[in-house]
Amino acid sequence: MSPAIIGLCIFLGAPIIMSLLVSLRDWSGITAPFDSEFVGFDQYRQLITDDGVRRRDFALSIRNNFYYVAGVVPTQTAIALFLAVILNQRRLKGKGFFRTAYYFPTITSSIAVSLIFLFLFQTRGAVNAVLPFQDINWLANPNGVIHNILGVAGVDSAPGWMDDTEILSLPLWEWISGPSVAMLSIMILVTWTTTGILMLIFLAALQNISPSVQEAAEIDGATWWQRFRLITVPLLKPTITFVVTLGLIGTWQVFDQIFVISFGGPEKTTLTPAFLTYFQTFQNGEASLGAAVAVVLFVIIMAFTVLQRRLMRNRDWS
Amino acid sequence: MRNMWLRMLAVLLAFTVIAAACGDDDDDGGETPASQPAADTGTSATDDAAMDDADDATMDDSDDAAMDDADDAAMDDADDVAMDDADDGAMDDAAAGPDLTGAELQLWGWASSEAEDIQLTALVDQFNADTGANARFEPQPEYDAALQAALVAGDPPDLFYVDSGRLPDLVASDALAPVPDGVISDPDDIYGALRDVFTIDGTWYCPPKDFSTLGLVYDPAAFEEAGIGVPTTWAELAAAAEALTTDDRIGLSFGAEYSRAGAFLFQAGTDILTADGTAVALDSDGGRTALQYLADLFASGHAASPQAIDTGWGGEAYASGAAAMTIEGNWIVGYLNNNFPDREWAVAELPTGPQGPGTFAFTVCYGVPASASDPDLSWAMVDYLTNAEGAAAWTSGFQVMPARASVRDSWVADNPKLQAFVAGAEYASRFQFPTGVGEIQGVFNDNFQRLIRGETTVDELIAEVVSAGEDLL
Repeated sequence: MSPAIIGLCIFLGAPIIMSLLVSLRDWSGITAPFDSEFVGFDQYRQLITDDGVRRRDFALSIRNNFYYVAGVVPTQTAIALFLAVILNQRRLKGKGFFRTAYYFPTITSSIAVSLIFLFLFQTRGAVNAVLPFQDINWLANPNGVIHNILGVAGVDSAPGWMDDTEILSLPLWEWISGPSVAMLSIMILVTWTTTGILMLIFLAALQNISPSVQEAAEIDGATWWQRFRLITVPLLKPTITFVVTLGLIGTWQVFDQIFVISFGGPEKTTLTPAFLTYFQTFQNGEASLGAAVAVVLFVIIMAFTVLQRRLMRNRDWS
Repeated sequence: MRNMWLRMLAVLLAFTVIAAACGDDDDDGGETPASQPAADTGTSATDDAAMDDADDATMDDSDDAAMDDADDAAMDDADDVAMDDADDGAMDDAAAGPDLTGAELQLWGWASSEAEDIQLTALVDQFNADTGANARFEPQPEYDAALQAALVAGDPPDLFYVDSGRLPDLVASDALAPVPDGVISDPDDIYGALRDVFTIDGTWYCPPKDFSTLGLVYDPAAFEEAGIGVPTTWAELAAAAEALTTDDRIGLSFGAEYSRAGAFLFQAGTDILTADGTAVALDSDGGRTALQYLADLFASGHAASPQAIDTGWGGEAYASGAAAMTIEGNWIVGYLNNNFPDREWAVAELPTGPQGPGTFAFTVCYGVPASASDPDLSWAMVDYLTNAEGAAAWTSGFQVMPARASVRDSWVADNPKLQAFVAGAEYASRFQFPTGVGEIQGVFNDNFQRLIRGETTVDELIAEVVSAGEDLL
């Protein structure tokens, strides 16, 4: 075996297999892992089949992260593509500056960026000073965005059947809450930071498209929008697939921003599976449960990625 | 090309400066001492079942007062010099312990503030100078994870900080050595309430490094203006909050979470869990009384959580003048002195409830791992840091309090304004949950926040906590 493969086995393969094995035990995270009792699928039962606080917390974390992924992935992909197309124009001045400016958030430490956003989103912070509505306490607001919209439409409490139908210990009404206002703030932050790197990937791909193709279309009388929709996007299809895959994997693992900004609160609306793993392992003495959450998260990411690649492969792009 | 690089460099520098400036800002809020619990941190303790296997490590299953018992049958080191002094229960001079010359000792802790790091490092240097040992204080970033990794790897530091909330997890995993007889000078001098915090099922695990309690921090000028005295009962607290509330100031503001509201539960004679941690205690008259009192207090508009008045925590709410009273611990003193030297303040004991006084003791101890390479040396250092002189040296010039009654008077003489915090030592309760039950605190906090916003009722809150208790206990 080459050294690279040995390194990969030790630093990637072994931890994955260890987590899998540990999740079948009752390990506190403090003693040697394989001195602990073997409990089979007990940890998974607490997460998936046994009604209770733990299943509810897990369901909350999946719900929160799902809305997070659903919001962040399309937004960051669209903005990154848009910026890349603009920055790829030959006639644009100061390209170097704009490329640096857009890329900068990506290489800044996520902790530093989170702290800055913590200040921006205070009630008397910069965000509220700019926006027309005042006094939104963004980071302490646990209300779901979809609930809020329904509230404006006059539906401010759950219809009976939605309160009674529970999936994984969480009422249907809670499932459709949408991301909380606090989570929305974190989604804005993350979109801002990750767009830069995705833009760079798109830019590299755009520069591989021969200018003659665009010029030919221009001579044929295609408008800017037609060229974008019918030439640029289809030619970028492999890159878009790649960027969405990267986005899916990254967003399902969100942790730093939540650790710094909200620690899972308010009212657990920014709890995510990755944060739940941290909490159970290092705060609650239940490392095996943390490992089980990580394994389920792995399965979810796999499923989403496979599904996404399949959908994108079969879709007709023009 | 060259121009582009120059431009990039300029932009990079500009961003670095901005980022650095923002980073510094945050440090101001970080001046909290070691014993302040992180908001919403899951804490836990051991349950009875998990303790069974710890029994063999136990020297003595009688209560905490029995530490000077000379029965050291379970001790590996009965021939140790220190044991000779065990009969009289006190070891006045650390130098009588084992020979520490050249001993390499690692002390792990977390970095709370620069001032604390400097003070502890100075104390460790003094220890080295007095004993000839070669000990080092090594603050760990992300402490819990670092300690767990070291324990799993079987190579823990010789002594380390143990937060009272984490003690049950460590004990349940047999990671901590109990205090052997006689190694700690005059254990009866340590406040009983604090020794209890680090005692699980009758076994004492470690002597406290220091402690903090919660007190009522208030604005004396505002009290004078309103013509009221310092509240000593719940009714007076509600009346004071009302009298102090003006258009741009709330009477009372404190964190809407267990680590503050819990004091009101103690004052009503209850807690979330029973003392042995095996059942939910909140479903009681005391629990209902305390929660209803708090719900009414917040509903009246005379009390609010710091977040509701756009501040991060009680200290900030008080310092900014947005609140006239807050409930915080000793750490608020350094925060106010350093950042708001012009803001007047005073501290009183928390008002008493229907079942008397109550407050939290936030405390950290020096633990010795069960797998310590040379426990005698570790304990000798623990004793040096926590005996009367060590406790006095560590807490001098600081807002955390010495855990020993004999140092009390000299500390109060140095910190006369903080007497109310010390008074809490007599009746303070632990901030601790059994291992694996940390979620119940989250359930309480989430529902409590909804309660004070009027979105749930006391009975619904209790039902949620009881149901969580059934799942977890």
